[in-house]
Amino acid sequence: MDQFNREEFDQLAAEWRYVITDLICRAGSGHIGGALSLVEVVLSLYYRNMKVDPKNPKWADRDRLVLSKGHAAPVLYVALAYKGYFPMSWLPTMNADGTKLPSHADGRTVPGVDMTTGSLGQGLSAACGMAMAAKTDGRTHNVFCIIGDGESNEGQNWEAAMFAAHNKLDNLVAITDCNQMQIDGTTQEIMCLEPLAQKWKGFGWEVLEMDGHDWDSINTTINQAVAVKGKPVMIIAHTIKGKGCTIIENTVESHNIKVPDQAAYDKYMNALTVSAKLPY
Amino acid sequence: MNYHEMEMRAVYAATLSELVKENPNIMCLEADLSKASGTFSVIKKNHPKNFINVGVAEANMIGIGAGLAVEGKIPFCASFTPFASRRVYDQITISVAYANNNVKIVGTAPGITAGPNGGTHMCFQDLSIMRAMPNMHVYSPADAYELRATLKYMAKSTQPTYMQLIRPKMPKIFDENVTFAPGKAQILREGTDVTLISTGYMTKFTLQAVGELEAKGVSVDLIHCGSVKPIDEQAIIASAKKTGGVVTVETQNIIGGLGSAVCEVLSENHPTRIKRLGIPDQFGEVATEKYLFEKHKFGVPHIVAACVEMKEKTAKKHKCCS
Repeated sequence: MDQFNREEFDQLAAEWRYVITDLICRAGSGHIGGALSLVEVVLSLYYRNMKVDPKNPKWADRDRLVLSKGHAAPVLYVALAYKGYFPMSWLPTMNADGTKLPSHADGRTVPGVDMTTGSLGQGLSAACGMAMAAKTDGRTHNVFCIIGDGESNEGQNWEAAMFAAHNKLDNLVAITDCNQMQIDGTTQEIMCLEPLAQKWKGFGWEVLEMDGHDWDSINTTINQAVAVKGKPVMIIAHTIKGKGCTIIENTVESHNIKVPDQAAYDKYMNALTVSAKLPY
Repeated sequence: MNYHEMEMRAVYAATLSELVKENPNIMCLEADLSKASGTFSVIKKNHPKNFINVGVAEANMIGIGAGLAVEGKIPFCASFTPFASRRVYDQITISVAYANNNVKIVGTAPGITAGPNGGTHMCFQDLSIMRAMPNMHVYSPADAYELRATLKYMAKSTQPTYMQLIRPKMPKIFDENVTFAPGKAQILREGTDVTLISTGYMTKFTLQAVGELEAKGVSVDLIHCGSVKPIDEQAIIASAKKTGGVVTVETQNIIGGLGSAVCEVLSENHPTRIKRLGIPDQFGEVATEKYLFEKHKFGVPHIVAACVEMKEKTAKKHKCCS
């Protein structure tokens, strides 16, 4: 695991936001809001919390990550490229014809993506299967799974919730990207999730909460989560949709942006709070 | 071992048990129907580490299967056909076929064999919808020996697969030496007048029909497609060239299933007159097999009549052509 340096992490997070926005703008459209809300969480997982080896993406003892909200793939692709799973030159091909980096997280073509996702509600079940396999084989790695708060409308999550608690999958740590927005409006307007923490507790999970943009909060909470024994853990990560891109930050419209021309490209890139050099 | 004296579900469980002993990565997944699919007293008891009951949650079962497959396990996920196919169609599409995870899905009590459970449980479209899914093989074995051969193949392959499992006893059609290969049909009788093609549960009835047809002087080429996808194009085309007329029989909607597969093959390779027997685009209902055969006209007498009619319609034309 990498040494934590607050300044470097801040710089990296800013750069990732710049790259994510560039990739989506180049592609002409994309799910930017839910990718930007996860930057610190995914960065922390890959640089601080998860046991991984980019040179050996299928290493049996690595920790796994299932990005169930597969539309946030740009943040995962950027993380994997920065960690060295594949060349940086792949990044600007996202969504181009014949790309290896399609809009939703794709384990078939992208080294380091542990499960193909994109149809909401399915990732937590797969993560349960992966955690179950580890238990069956007596292996000690952890399985992380990130779901969206909007995604939590899907009933399959709650089938998986029952299963994980019933089978005491304490090697499973789920994280809800709780930015309180979904496609058609706020989660409060469309389908109220609250009391979310109590729901997961009621399903037999340990529930923790964290500030999804604060390095210390993320690290402390994830460490606490992996130490829990006897039950799965849900971390509710309080995040801001579209964080870092001022014209869409904390708006429902940030879910998916259209970037038809250079003017739109400039508008979004100029709205980033920090600029950076593109690594490709 | 006389497997044909056992219920097919018992053969499924016994074979799965053998396979688990050979390969501990094989897993048996159930969604609260393990007694119905026969694994409750066999796999759960003898191989508890290889048995997962997810409760009444089929979507989750498929997802867990996908996750297990990511980790190198070979999950066999069973439920009644409607719940193993149409209820979880998107889960199978994305988490299994699209993601290319090695999950085996077993749909039990196919077609009219759902009998007393009636229309809600009588699935006539699983062959159709599973066949339409890229990266998915579709099998429907006809007896205990073919079932065992099919399961042994599935356990060794890395191919996402859907298999129909008949639950009751079935008469012996094959023997212990039968082999299974995807895209390879079994030629059960060789004849010259009509090609008769069936799969799964209906093959025991087409065999009966062939006996009656021979007595009537109709010579039948009988093809059993245990592998519906991929289908044995070569065998179908060769037979159609020989007979000039084809009758298909399945306990499925005639839209999209075996009959459609045969039509697709022949229309593009050797246009041939075809009669599809099965369910004419209707739902199931609580009823006896006899009633459903009569209502939908795909029992033995209807198969015989369709073949006789096919011979009459094609004989003259075919002779002219040949």
